[in-house]
Amino acid sequence: MAKYLGLDRLGKIFQIIRQSGGIKNAYMKLYRFDDLKVGTLVGTDKYGNRYYENPYYFYGRNRWVEYADHLNLEYDGSQIPADWYGWMHYKTDLPPIRDGSRPKYKWMADHSENLSGTKEQYMPYSTTPPKVQAWDPKKSK
Amino acid sequence: MALPAKVFTLSRNGHRMFGTSLRLCAAGKDIVTVPKGYVYVNNKELSMEINEITDRAATTMFLGELFRGFAVTLAHIFKEPATINYPFEKGPLSPRFRGEHALRRYPSGEERCIACKLCEAICPAQAITIEATTRSDGSRRTTRYDIDMTKCIYCGFCQEACPVDAIVEGPNFEFSTETHEELLYNKEKLLCNGDKWESEIASNLQADHLYR
Repeated sequence: MAKYLGLDRLGKIFQIIRQSGGIKNAYMKLYRFDDLKVGTLVGTDKYGNRYYENPYYFYGRNRWVEYADHLNLEYDGSQIPADWYGWMHYKTDLPPIRDGSRPKYKWMADHSENLSGTKEQYMPYSTTPPKVQAWDPKKSK
Repeated sequence: MALPAKVFTLSRNGHRMFGTSLRLCAAGKDIVTVPKGYVYVNNKELSMEINEITDRAATTMFLGELFRGFAVTLAHIFKEPATINYPFEKGPLSPRFRGEHALRRYPSGEERCIACKLCEAICPAQAITIEATTRSDGSRRTTRYDIDMTKCIYCGFCQEACPVDAIVEGPNFEFSTETHEELLYNKEKLLCNGDKWESEIASNLQADHLYR
Protein backbone atom coordinates (compact mmCIF):
# COMPACT_ATOMS: atom_id res chain seq x y z
CA MET A 1 0.00 0.00 0.00
CA ALA A 2 2.77 2.40 1.05
CA LYS A 3 4.46 1.78 -2.27
CA TYR A 4 1.47 2.96 -4.28
CA LEU A 5 1.13 6.12 -2.26
CA GLY A 6 4.84 6.86 -2.60
CA LEU A 7 5.49 6.58 1.15
CA ASP A 8 8.58 4.42 0.55
CA ARG A 9 10.11 7.37 -1.30
CA LEU A 10 9.46 9.51 1.76
CA GLY A 11 11.27 6.92 3.87
CA LYS A 12 14.12 6.98 1.38
CA ILE A 13 14.55 10.73 1.87
CA PHE A 14 15.05 10.21 5.61
CA GLN A 15 17.48 7.38 4.91
CA ILE A 16 19.47 9.61 2.51
CA ILE A 17 19.58 12.49 5.01
CA ARG A 18 20.72 10.11 7.75
CA GLN A 19 23.48 8.69 5.55
CA SER A 20 24.68 12.13 4.44
CA GLY A 21 25.12 13.06 8.10
CA GLY A 22 22.32 15.34 9.16
CA ILE A 23 20.13 17.95 7.56
CA LYS A 24 22.92 20.55 7.20
CA ASN A 25 25.31 18.16 5.50
CA ALA A 26 22.55 16.87 3.26
CA TYR A 27 21.74 20.44 2.27
CA MET A 28 25.41 21.13 1.51
CA LYS A 29 25.56 17.99 -0.64
CA LEU A 30 22.45 19.02 -2.50
CA TYR A 31 23.94 22.48 -2.97
CA ARG A 32 27.26 21.17 -4.32
CA PHE A 33 26.15 18.15 -6.31
CA ASP A 34 22.60 19.13 -7.36
CA ASP A 35 21.44 15.71 -6.25
CA LEU A 36 21.06 13.63 -3.11
CA LYS A 37 21.87 9.95 -3.41
CA VAL A 38 22.92 7.08 -1.20
CA GLY A 39 25.45 4.50 -2.23
CA THR A 40 28.42 2.44 -1.16
CA LEU A 41 31.82 4.12 -1.21
CA VAL A 42 33.85 2.21 -3.80
CA GLY A 43 37.07 4.10 -3.32
CA THR A 44 38.90 7.38 -3.02
CA ASP A 45 41.58 8.58 -5.42
CA LYS A 46 44.70 10.41 -4.31
CA TYR A 47 43.18 13.79 -5.13
CA GLY A 48 40.40 13.26 -2.59
CA ASN A 49 37.53 12.49 -5.00
CA ARG A 50 35.14 9.87 -3.65
CA TYR A 51 33.51 7.30 -5.92
CA TYR A 52 30.13 5.79 -5.11
CA GLU A 53 27.97 3.08 -6.57
CA ASN A 54 24.37 2.05 -6.05
CA PRO A 55 22.66 -0.33 -8.50
CA TYR A 56 19.26 0.92 -7.28
CA TYR A 57 19.61 3.74 -9.83
CA PHE A 58 19.51 2.94 -13.53
CA TYR A 59 22.60 2.31 -15.66
CA GLY A 60 24.29 5.65 -16.24
CA ARG A 61 23.26 7.02 -12.87
CA ASN A 62 24.45 4.13 -10.73
CA ARG A 63 28.06 5.34 -10.45
CA TRP A 64 28.95 8.81 -9.40
CA VAL A 65 31.79 10.88 -8.02
CA GLU A 66 31.82 13.43 -5.25
CA TYR A 67 34.66 15.82 -5.98
CA ALA A 68 37.11 16.61 -3.19
CA ASP A 69 35.75 18.91 -0.47
CA HIS A 70 38.42 21.60 -0.88
CA LEU A 71 37.26 22.20 -4.46
CA ASN A 72 33.87 23.43 -3.23
CA LEU A 73 32.11 24.61 -6.41
CA GLU A 74 35.28 24.58 -8.55
CA TYR A 75 34.68 20.99 -9.62
CA ASP A 76 35.14 19.96 -13.23
CA GLY A 77 34.52 16.84 -15.26
CA SER A 78 38.22 16.65 -16.16
CA GLN A 79 39.29 16.21 -12.51
CA ILE A 80 38.75 12.45 -12.63
CA PRO A 81 42.22 10.85 -12.99
CA ALA A 82 43.04 8.25 -15.64
CA ASP A 83 43.00 5.42 -13.06
CA TRP A 84 39.32 5.91 -12.26
CA TYR A 85 38.32 7.03 -15.74
CA GLY A 86 37.47 3.54 -16.99
CA TRP A 87 35.38 2.65 -13.97
CA MET A 88 33.57 5.97 -14.09
CA HIS A 89 32.71 5.46 -17.76
CA TYR A 90 31.50 1.84 -17.30
CA LYS A 91 34.40 0.38 -19.31
CA THR A 92 35.33 -1.88 -16.43
CA ASP A 93 33.70 -3.02 -13.22
CA LEU A 94 37.07 -3.17 -11.49
CA PRO A 95 38.04 -0.09 -9.52
CA PRO A 96 41.80 0.57 -9.92
CA ILE A 97 42.60 -0.78 -6.45
CA ARG A 98 41.41 -4.25 -7.54
CA ASP A 99 42.63 -4.01 -11.15
CA GLY A 100 46.13 -5.51 -11.23
CA SER A 101 46.65 -5.12 -14.99
CA ARG A 102 46.97 -1.34 -14.92
CA PRO A 103 50.59 -0.34 -15.58
CA LYS A 104 52.52 1.73 -13.06
CA TYR A 105 55.68 3.28 -14.46
CA LYS A 106 57.74 5.86 -12.69
CA TRP A 107 57.49 8.25 -15.65
CA MET A 108 53.71 8.40 -15.43
CA ALA A 109 52.60 11.93 -14.65
CA ASP A 110 50.13 13.22 -12.09
CA HIS A 111 46.69 14.07 -13.29
CA SER A 112 45.83 17.65 -14.01
CA GLU A 113 42.45 19.09 -14.82
CA ASN A 114 41.68 21.04 -17.98
CA LEU A 115 43.72 24.19 -17.36
CA SER A 116 42.26 26.28 -20.15
CA GLY A 117 41.58 29.82 -19.01
CA THR A 118 44.09 29.72 -16.15
CA LYS A 119 47.69 30.93 -15.95
CA GLU A 120 49.03 27.38 -16.38
CA GLN A 121 47.21 26.82 -19.64
CA TYR A 122 49.11 25.25 -22.53
CA MET A 123 50.42 27.66 -25.14
CA PRO A 124 51.89 26.24 -28.35
CA TYR A 125 55.54 26.82 -29.09
CA SER A 126 57.96 25.46 -31.65
CA THR A 127 59.99 22.44 -30.61
CA THR A 128 62.55 22.99 -33.40
CA PRO A 129 65.10 25.80 -33.87
CA PRO A 130 64.05 28.33 -36.55
CA LYS A 131 65.23 27.44 -40.05
CA VAL A 132 66.00 31.04 -41.03
CA GLN A 133 68.46 32.98 -38.87
CA ALA A 134 67.94 36.73 -39.01
CA TRP A 135 71.03 38.85 -39.58
CA ASP A 136 71.90 40.96 -36.58
CA PRO A 137 73.93 44.06 -37.71
CA LYS A 138 75.23 44.81 -34.21
CA LYS A 139 76.82 41.42 -33.87
CA SER A 140 80.52 41.54 -34.76
CA LYS A 141 81.66 38.91 -37.15
CA MET B 1 -3.51 -8.00 -1.85
CA ALA B 2 -6.89 -7.03 -3.25
CA LEU B 3 -6.68 -3.38 -2.25
CA PRO B 4 -3.20 -2.65 -3.70
CA ALA B 5 -4.24 -4.35 -6.93
CA LYS B 6 -7.34 -2.16 -6.99
CA VAL B 7 -5.28 0.99 -6.45
CA PHE B 8 -2.89 -0.11 -9.16
CA THR B 9 -5.60 -0.67 -11.75
CA LEU B 10 -7.15 2.63 -10.71
CA SER B 11 -3.92 4.50 -11.33
CA ARG B 12 -3.14 2.64 -14.55
CA ASN B 13 -6.61 3.01 -16.03
CA GLY B 14 -7.54 6.22 -14.27
CA HIS B 15 -7.69 8.19 -17.45
CA ARG B 16 -10.32 5.82 -18.78
CA MET B 17 -12.47 6.19 -15.67
CA PHE B 18 -12.14 9.90 -15.08
CA GLY B 19 -11.30 11.30 -18.50
CA THR B 20 -14.71 12.22 -19.83
CA SER B 21 -13.47 13.39 -23.21
CA LEU B 22 -11.70 10.10 -23.82
CA ARG B 23 -14.78 8.18 -22.82
CA LEU B 24 -16.90 10.24 -25.13
CA CYS B 25 -14.52 9.56 -27.95
CA ALA B 26 -14.73 5.87 -27.36
CA ALA B 27 -18.51 5.92 -27.06
CA GLY B 28 -19.14 8.15 -30.05
CA LYS B 29 -20.67 6.81 -33.20
CA ASP B 30 -18.76 6.54 -36.46
CA ILE B 31 -19.78 9.18 -38.98
CA VAL B 32 -19.92 6.73 -41.89
CA THR B 33 -20.76 3.05 -41.85
CA VAL B 34 -17.62 0.93 -41.54
CA PRO B 35 -17.39 -2.53 -43.06
CA LYS B 36 -16.88 -5.39 -40.67
CA GLY B 37 -13.25 -6.01 -39.73
CA TYR B 38 -12.23 -2.36 -40.23
CA VAL B 39 -11.65 0.29 -37.59
CA TYR B 40 -12.79 3.86 -38.07
CA VAL B 41 -10.03 6.18 -36.88
CA ASN B 42 -11.35 9.65 -37.74
CA ASN B 43 -13.44 11.96 -35.56
CA LYS B 44 -16.53 10.36 -34.17
CA GLU B 45 -19.97 11.84 -34.10
CA LEU B 46 -20.64 13.43 -30.72
CA SER B 47 -23.61 12.08 -28.81
CA MET B 48 -26.44 14.58 -28.41
CA GLU B 49 -28.02 12.86 -25.39
CA ILE B 50 -28.73 15.42 -22.67
CA ASN B 51 -26.50 13.77 -20.03
CA GLU B 52 -23.59 13.55 -22.48
CA ILE B 53 -23.95 17.23 -23.36
CA THR B 54 -24.02 18.08 -19.62
CA ASP B 55 -20.84 16.02 -19.08
CA ARG B 56 -19.03 17.84 -21.87
CA ALA B 57 -20.16 21.22 -20.57
CA ALA B 58 -19.00 20.30 -17.06
CA THR B 59 -15.56 19.28 -18.35
CA THR B 60 -15.19 22.66 -20.01
CA MET B 61 -16.60 24.65 -17.09
CA PHE B 62 -14.46 23.02 -14.39
CA LEU B 63 -11.26 23.15 -16.54
CA GLY B 64 -11.10 19.36 -16.36
CA GLU B 65 -8.47 19.01 -19.05
CA LEU B 66 -6.30 21.74 -17.53
CA PHE B 67 -6.25 19.98 -14.17
CA ARG B 68 -5.44 16.67 -15.79
CA GLY B 69 -2.50 18.40 -17.44
CA PHE B 70 -1.36 19.75 -14.07
CA ALA B 71 -1.64 16.28 -12.61
CA VAL B 72 0.66 14.90 -15.31
CA THR B 73 3.17 17.67 -14.56
CA LEU B 74 3.00 16.96 -10.84
CA ALA B 75 3.51 13.26 -11.41
CA HIS B 76 6.66 13.94 -13.42
CA ILE B 77 8.16 15.98 -10.56
CA PHE B 78 8.32 12.82 -8.47
CA LYS B 79 9.59 10.58 -11.25
CA GLU B 80 13.20 9.49 -11.45
CA PRO B 81 14.90 11.75 -14.02
CA ALA B 82 15.92 10.15 -17.30
CA THR B 83 19.02 12.35 -17.60
CA ILE B 84 22.43 11.94 -15.94
CA ASN B 85 23.91 14.52 -13.63
CA TYR B 86 27.19 15.40 -15.41
CA PRO B 87 29.94 15.94 -14.16
CA PHE B 88 29.10 13.75 -11.18
CA GLU B 89 27.74 10.95 -13.30
CA LYS B 90 29.17 10.04 -16.68
CA GLY B 91 27.85 8.13 -19.63
CA PRO B 92 29.25 4.78 -20.75
CA LEU B 93 32.25 4.91 -23.11
CA SER B 94 33.86 2.32 -25.38
CA PRO B 95 37.52 1.28 -25.03
CA ARG B 96 37.75 2.20 -28.73
CA PHE B 97 36.61 5.75 -28.09
CA ARG B 98 38.72 8.21 -30.07
CA GLY B 99 39.39 11.32 -28.05
CA GLU B 100 42.36 13.54 -27.36
CA HIS B 101 45.64 12.42 -28.94
CA ALA B 102 48.63 11.25 -26.95
CA LEU B 103 52.16 10.07 -27.73
CA ARG B 104 53.06 6.98 -25.74
CA ARG B 105 56.32 5.76 -24.25
CA TYR B 106 57.90 2.35 -23.79
CA PRO B 107 57.89 1.04 -20.20
CA SER B 108 61.52 2.18 -19.99
CA GLY B 109 60.40 5.77 -20.54
CA GLU B 110 61.79 6.00 -24.07
CA GLU B 111 59.37 7.63 -26.50
CA ARG B 112 57.87 5.25 -29.04
CA CYS B 113 57.64 7.51 -32.07
CA ILE B 114 60.27 6.75 -34.70
CA ALA B 115 59.26 9.52 -37.11
CA CYS B 116 58.12 7.17 -39.90
CA LYS B 117 55.56 9.83 -40.87
CA LEU B 118 52.87 7.25 -41.73
CA CYS B 119 50.36 9.15 -39.61
CA GLU B 120 51.24 12.39 -41.36
CA ALA B 121 50.77 10.67 -44.74
CA ILE B 122 47.42 9.05 -43.93
CA CYS B 123 45.85 11.98 -42.12
CA PRO B 124 42.87 12.96 -44.32
CA ALA B 125 42.65 16.40 -42.72
CA GLN B 126 46.43 16.96 -42.96
CA ALA B 127 46.45 17.99 -39.33
CA ILE B 128 49.82 16.40 -38.47
CA THR B 129 53.22 18.01 -39.11
CA ILE B 130 56.41 16.07 -38.43
CA GLU B 131 60.08 16.97 -38.67
CA ALA B 132 62.76 14.46 -37.83
CA THR B 133 66.49 14.31 -37.18
CA THR B 134 68.99 11.78 -35.98
CA ARG B 135 69.45 12.02 -32.24
CA SER B 136 72.90 12.09 -30.68
CA ASP B 137 72.68 8.35 -29.91
CA GLY B 138 71.98 7.66 -33.60
CA SER B 139 68.26 6.85 -33.31
CA ARG B 140 65.72 8.55 -35.53
CA ARG B 141 63.35 10.80 -33.58
CA THR B 142 60.96 13.65 -34.24
CA THR B 143 61.95 17.19 -33.40
CA ARG B 144 58.53 18.49 -34.30
CA TYR B 145 55.26 16.61 -33.87
CA ASP B 146 52.42 19.08 -34.19
CA ILE B 147 48.74 18.22 -34.41
CA ASP B 148 46.23 20.92 -35.18
CA MET B 149 43.35 19.62 -33.08
CA THR B 150 40.96 21.98 -34.83
CA LYS B 151 41.73 20.37 -38.18
CA CYS B 152 41.58 16.84 -36.81
CA ILE B 153 38.41 14.93 -37.64
CA TYR B 154 39.09 12.17 -35.07
CA CYS B 155 38.94 9.40 -37.67
CA GLY B 156 41.59 7.33 -35.90
CA PHE B 157 43.62 6.61 -39.05
CA CYS B 158 46.80 7.87 -37.35
CA GLN B 159 46.62 5.30 -34.56
CA GLU B 160 45.83 2.58 -37.10
CA ALA B 161 48.77 3.59 -39.28
CA CYS B 162 51.26 3.74 -36.42
CA PRO B 163 53.56 0.66 -36.46
CA VAL B 164 54.75 1.15 -32.86
CA ASP B 165 51.50 2.26 -31.16
CA ALA B 166 53.06 5.65 -30.48
CA ILE B 167 50.27 8.00 -31.50
CA VAL B 168 46.94 6.97 -30.02
CA GLU B 169 43.65 8.70 -29.57
CA GLY B 170 43.16 8.55 -25.84
CA PRO B 171 39.92 8.33 -23.87
CA ASN B 172 39.82 11.98 -22.85
CA PHE B 173 37.16 14.20 -24.37
CA GLU B 174 37.22 16.98 -21.77
CA PHE B 175 39.93 19.11 -23.38
CA SER B 176 37.85 22.01 -24.65
CA THR B 177 39.72 25.32 -24.53
CA GLU B 178 38.92 29.00 -24.43
CA THR B 179 41.18 29.95 -27.34
CA HIS B 180 42.02 28.42 -30.68
CA GLU B 181 45.79 28.40 -30.19
CA GLU B 182 45.59 26.13 -27.14
CA LEU B 183 44.44 23.39 -29.50
CA LEU B 184 47.59 23.56 -31.64
CA TYR B 185 49.33 20.70 -29.86
CA ASN B 186 53.08 20.24 -30.07
CA LYS B 187 55.23 17.26 -29.20
CA GLU B 188 55.68 18.17 -25.52
CA LYS B 189 51.94 18.46 -25.00
CA LEU B 190 51.27 15.14 -26.71
CA LEU B 191 53.96 13.33 -24.69
CA CYS B 192 52.59 14.95 -21.54
CA ASN B 193 49.12 13.63 -22.44
CA GLY B 194 50.61 10.20 -22.87
CA ASP B 195 52.24 10.31 -19.43
CA LYS B 196 48.98 11.47 -17.89
CA TRP B 197 46.67 8.93 -19.55
CA GLU B 198 48.97 5.89 -19.93
CA SER B 199 47.04 3.90 -17.31
CA GLU B 200 43.79 4.23 -19.25
CA ILE B 201 45.34 4.00 -22.73
CA ALA B 202 47.08 0.73 -21.84
CA SER B 203 43.85 -0.65 -20.34
CA ASN B 204 41.93 0.24 -23.50
CA LEU B 205 44.51 -1.47 -25.73
CA GLN B 206 44.40 -4.50 -23.43
CA ALA B 207 40.58 -4.60 -23.61
CA ASP B 208 40.74 -4.55 -27.41
CA HIS B 209 43.76 -6.81 -27.94
CA LEU B 210 41.75 -9.68 -29.47
CA TYR B 211 40.56 -7.48 -32.32
CA ARG B 212 43.81 -5.74 -33.20
